[in-house]
Amino acid sequence: MKKVILIFGILSLLIFIKPVLGFSSNTTNTSVSASVSQVENTVEETFVDGALDGIKEFYHFTGFANAQTGHIIMILIGIIFIYLGIKFDYEPLLLIPIGVGVMLGNIPFVAGYQTGIYEEGSVLNYLYFGVVKGIYPPLIFLGIGAMTDFSSLIANPKLMLLGAAAQIGVFATFLGALYLGFSLPEAGAIGIIGGADGPTAIFLSSKLANGINILPDGTTVKNLIGPIAIAAYSYMALVPVIQPPIMRLLTSKKERLIRMKPPRAVSQKEKMIFPIVALLLTTFISPSALPLLGMLFFGNLLKESGRTERLAETARTKLIDIVTILLGVTVGASTQADIFITKDSMMIFGLGALSFVIATAGGLLFAKLMNLFLKGDNKINPLIGASGVSAVPDSARVVHAEGLKADPHNYLLMHAMAPNVAGVIGSAIAAGIILSFLG
Amino acid sequence: MTRVLLYTDPLSEGYIILITGLLIVFSGLILLTVFFKYGLPIMLYIYKIITKGRDKKVKDISPKVNEKFTGEIAAAISVAIHLYLDEQHDEENAILTIKQARKLYSPWSSKIYSAYRNRL
Repeated sequence: MKKVILIFGILSLLIFIKPVLGFSSNTTNTSVSASVSQVENTVEETFVDGALDGIKEFYHFTGFANAQTGHIIMILIGIIFIYLGIKFDYEPLLLIPIGVGVMLGNIPFVAGYQTGIYEEGSVLNYLYFGVVKGIYPPLIFLGIGAMTDFSSLIANPKLMLLGAAAQIGVFATFLGALYLGFSLPEAGAIGIIGGADGPTAIFLSSKLANGINILPDGTTVKNLIGPIAIAAYSYMALVPVIQPPIMRLLTSKKERLIRMKPPRAVSQKEKMIFPIVALLLTTFISPSALPLLGMLFFGNLLKESGRTERLAETARTKLIDIVTILLGVTVGASTQADIFITKDSMMIFGLGALSFVIATAGGLLFAKLMNLFLKGDNKINPLIGASGVSAVPDSARVVHAEGLKADPHNYLLMHAMAPNVAGVIGSAIAAGIILSFLG
Repeated sequence: MTRVLLYTDPLSEGYIILITGLLIVFSGLILLTVFFKYGLPIMLYIYKIITKGRDKKVKDISPKVNEKFTGEIAAAISVAIHLYLDEQHDEENAILTIKQARKLYSPWSSKIYSAYRNRL
């Protein structure tokens, strides 16, 4: 019995390998084998040829036949993402779905059979719809709102300014992108990477650089959703690597030792009023950011109202998880090699790194500026300025860790959360402004 | 939303967006800051007057009195509660027994009747 299986296995293996050999060197091998088979079995010729043709046909549809270097590179990148997520724990909830998505999006296939993410009617295309139309980001914001505790911000409202200061990164990158020759809407979408906020970046790029809008001079904007989202998320994951050197460079040892007085306790009434008032104020200023800010504060009201715990619970656990899965996989899959590996993507990655640096520096320097006007007890530790880039809650954690390095008993986490959540609000407002200018 | 930009030079347009954008972001967040610094206490005070002191003291709401109860204390208490709740399941009874499920006798489900129905 074993022998039969063995022989059958070898035979089938031979049949499968034959076309591979045939394609790799179709000058000598095939002609020889073909002539041999012709001589030996003239009767079965049609059958064998038919089978071979079928296998050839099949082979044309496999990934091996269609693979190009771009695909291989992108698949490797996807594996690196997964590795980073698992090994170093850099935002695994994002990197692993995105990494798998990158692999999914770069499996080589024959176009025209509703397989790829950019093909009308494919399953991935339907899921990608939520990205293209900007549906997922507001849902993520709903969950973030239901998770976030704004009390440290309410206790110390002046820290809100740090969140605004870090948005310098957005506008500086915007200008940099213009200098590199991107058109205005594309530059706006690239700039928002500096907001360090994945959902906002996807939202804005899906509105501005979606490959559908038409510029005043008649050309279509490029589709930059994939590169922008990947840049935003990968730099967000790399916040623990990017920020500390800048923090040490721009602050003196003495400044890092500053202890801030603990924030006061905030009453529930204040917490309930905050989302309503902030919603009204921010959306009146920047109505274009309505989907993001509206959902953010709606989620927060669900959490703080004390009556809708069930809804808040769903928003911050199940709902955000579902949306994160869909968003991660589809954004990853949107990096199809022929669309992703371009000079533009490389420039976007460069600008993205720059924008994180500028945003961090902006927050730190503004915190130092504020310290000039504050006296004694009220002085703020300039480190928390760095958490003005949104990247919730990673940048706050980085600030906390840096503070602990300078003084093992200086706990900055609570203070750092204030500019951190203000950064989310700030970058959403900035996105709204850019959208209203360029949309 | 779609409109033709008046400025043909993207860079000059870019600078305009840079300046106005930053101004708007800052003014927006400054507005929020000012509101929560000054507006909110006033609102809470007015609320207190309207409800005619159902809240016993307005000082409860004002930050100054609560200074002793800091966020750190709240954090310590919540950590303690969290740890306690987290460990609760460790204090379960360690004795596991398999209880025999006891069925009440009923002639309706009696084996005797079903086995010997014809004979009885």
